[in-house]
Amino acid sequence: MNVLIVEDERQLSHEVEIFLSKQGYHCDVAFTGKSASEKIYVNSYDFILLDIGLPDYSGFQLLKEAKESGKDAAFIVLTARGSIDDRITGLDLGADDYLAKPFSLLELQARMQAILRRKHGLKNNTIQIHDFLMDIQNRTVYYQKNAINLTKKEFDILHYMALHKNRVITRVQLTEHIWGDVLEEDYESNYIDVHMKNLRKKLSTSGNADFIETVRGIGYRLNMN
Amino acid sequence: MTFEGKIELKLQVKLILYNTISKAIIILGIGALLPLLIQKVVYNHIDKRLTARLEKTLLMVQKGGLNEITLDQDCSFDNYNIFKEEFVSISPLPRLPEDFGKIRIENSERSIENESVRHRVLSKAFIYDNQLYEIAIGEGLSAVDQLNLTIKKFTLLLLLAVVLISIFLDLSFARLLLRPFNKIVNEKLRDVQHPASFDPKPIITNTYEFTHLDKSINEMMRQIRETFEMERAFIMNVSHELLTPVSILKNRIENLISDPSLPHEVAVKMVESQKTLSRLTKVVKALLYISKIENEQFLKNESVLIETVMQEVLEELDELIHSKGITVVSEWKDQFIFTPCNKSLLYTLLYNIITNAIKYNETDGKIFITGQKIEKSFVLKVRDTGPGIADDQIPFIFDRFKRFRPADDKSYGLGLPIVKTIAAFHGINIKAENENAKGITFILQFPIIPS
Repeated sequence: MNVLIVEDERQLSHEVEIFLSKQGYHCDVAFTGKSASEKIYVNSYDFILLDIGLPDYSGFQLLKEAKESGKDAAFIVLTARGSIDDRITGLDLGADDYLAKPFSLLELQARMQAILRRKHGLKNNTIQIHDFLMDIQNRTVYYQKNAINLTKKEFDILHYMALHKNRVITRVQLTEHIWGDVLEEDYESNYIDVHMKNLRKKLSTSGNADFIETVRGIGYRLNMN
Repeated sequence: MTFEGKIELKLQVKLILYNTISKAIIILGIGALLPLLIQKVVYNHIDKRLTARLEKTLLMVQKGGLNEITLDQDCSFDNYNIFKEEFVSISPLPRLPEDFGKIRIENSERSIENESVRHRVLSKAFIYDNQLYEIAIGEGLSAVDQLNLTIKKFTLLLLLAVVLISIFLDLSFARLLLRPFNKIVNEKLRDVQHPASFDPKPIITNTYEFTHLDKSINEMMRQIRETFEMERAFIMNVSHELLTPVSILKNRIENLISDPSLPHEVAVKMVESQKTLSRLTKVVKALLYISKIENEQFLKNESVLIETVMQEVLEELDELIHSKGITVVSEWKDQFIFTPCNKSLLYTLLYNIITNAIKYNETDGKIFITGQKIEKSFVLKVRDTGPGIADDQIPFIFDRFKRFRPADDKSYGLGLPIVKTIAAFHGINIKAENENAKGITFILQFPIIPS
């Protein structure tokens, strides 16, 4: 998977690059619109992460040009300007998704995977977690064909952890994903523990749920081989 | 249109009202005075004529003797007599009157051949042949009365016509005169919801005041628009300047935490930093959100059923409500579609109020939600069964700069200032009240805008 990161803030593009490289993506970085334009023209990318606020170029212009020249890379628009119109303009111009800064790297990866599934029309929309089977389409978890009654939030937590298997996810990351852009400061992240407790209880009534590990002082990890 | 019990009228209506009243006063005055004036003139003429005749008759009496006149009077003074319109009478007087030598004038009823007729009568006492007599000469007034009545009727009709015509003319003129003014009021003030939708095209008029008014409004609007644009640019820049470094830190912390070579104790510290950063992000986002609403960067063009939005909020918070054992009791007496509004903002508003009611409720507490139409507004009340807020703190709970800490040290955060801002954006009146020292009630008054 080739990814082009178009971001003039070098420290930020560096962090994104570190993260995506570890996930097995091949990353290319452009700090200006001009170099981005050249790279898009010469190379072929699966993903282009595009910051709208470039110093020399409007990110939208770049998006438009790339779309017009028939590049089929998936575009994810990144912006910190916080303008509501940006999101609409970006999606109108054919961007596949939109992320407002600051975003979580886990969220970025989740969105990229969702785009991939969408683009390739993956029929097999299920994830096998040990003895459990997650049906993403119908939002149901099965244990040997028996549906387990999970709440919306519990399902979302399990899904997010499965997407980022073998990786510690902090309570903050989970809270932000589950509760989204809730504009409430100091939201009690303890609720995540409550949800996690219930989720484990529900799973363990059917089978072994030890694959969800609590990492003391940090968060949770879903272990899978 | 009434406003707080005071009657408000349009300028045009006022002008016409004043004009009509002043004209009516003048015309009623003329209507009342004219008949009197005419009567006076007519009486003057009659009196002059009668005086001349009186003198003439007296002269005849002096010359030809009384007998001749008295015998002769019926035929000597005209044939009006058959219509009882004129008469002359000479009768002896018992004693000398005080105004001897002067002519007395009066209107009196004279009965002639059993018919009472109003006459103008001139009488004078005189001495003839050592005998005191009074001569009276009269003229019937029925013709004059008739004339007077006709004139009265005619003037009344004429004046009525004049009033109607002048009202019509006033109306047309006022409308013509005030057309630019109405245009300014409608196009430049009433229809302008946002400075961006303002059309600075000058209104065509040759009235100095209106040109001046129009220019001033245009200038003010230009300044407001400029300020709005500047604030918008400022928000975007601040947003960028603040959120970019936060973004770098956030991703760096994420990368560090997942680094297996990081000692566990350091990772725990990093998680703490992540929490702090998350708090900072939320504050910055909340403040930017408030600024954006105040800068009118949200559209207000949707219609929603308030109950539906509330249902969505309750569904989203369902698990949170259950985890605290809270029961929600809803009572919707009326249905209310709020328009125009911004659904996502309303969702946030209700979301924050319900979150508040959950957060500050006791375990196994209750949330009471009621919605009903009261007079010209829809009133939504949300009450919790928590410990409430001290009365002296209530005025500050919506204030973003005077944040207070309740007894349990849970921060109220910026949730309520956001609520207040969204409410103001929609013209919703909001207040908080302590109810019997048991829980706090949020009362939202939605304006019902007649379609």
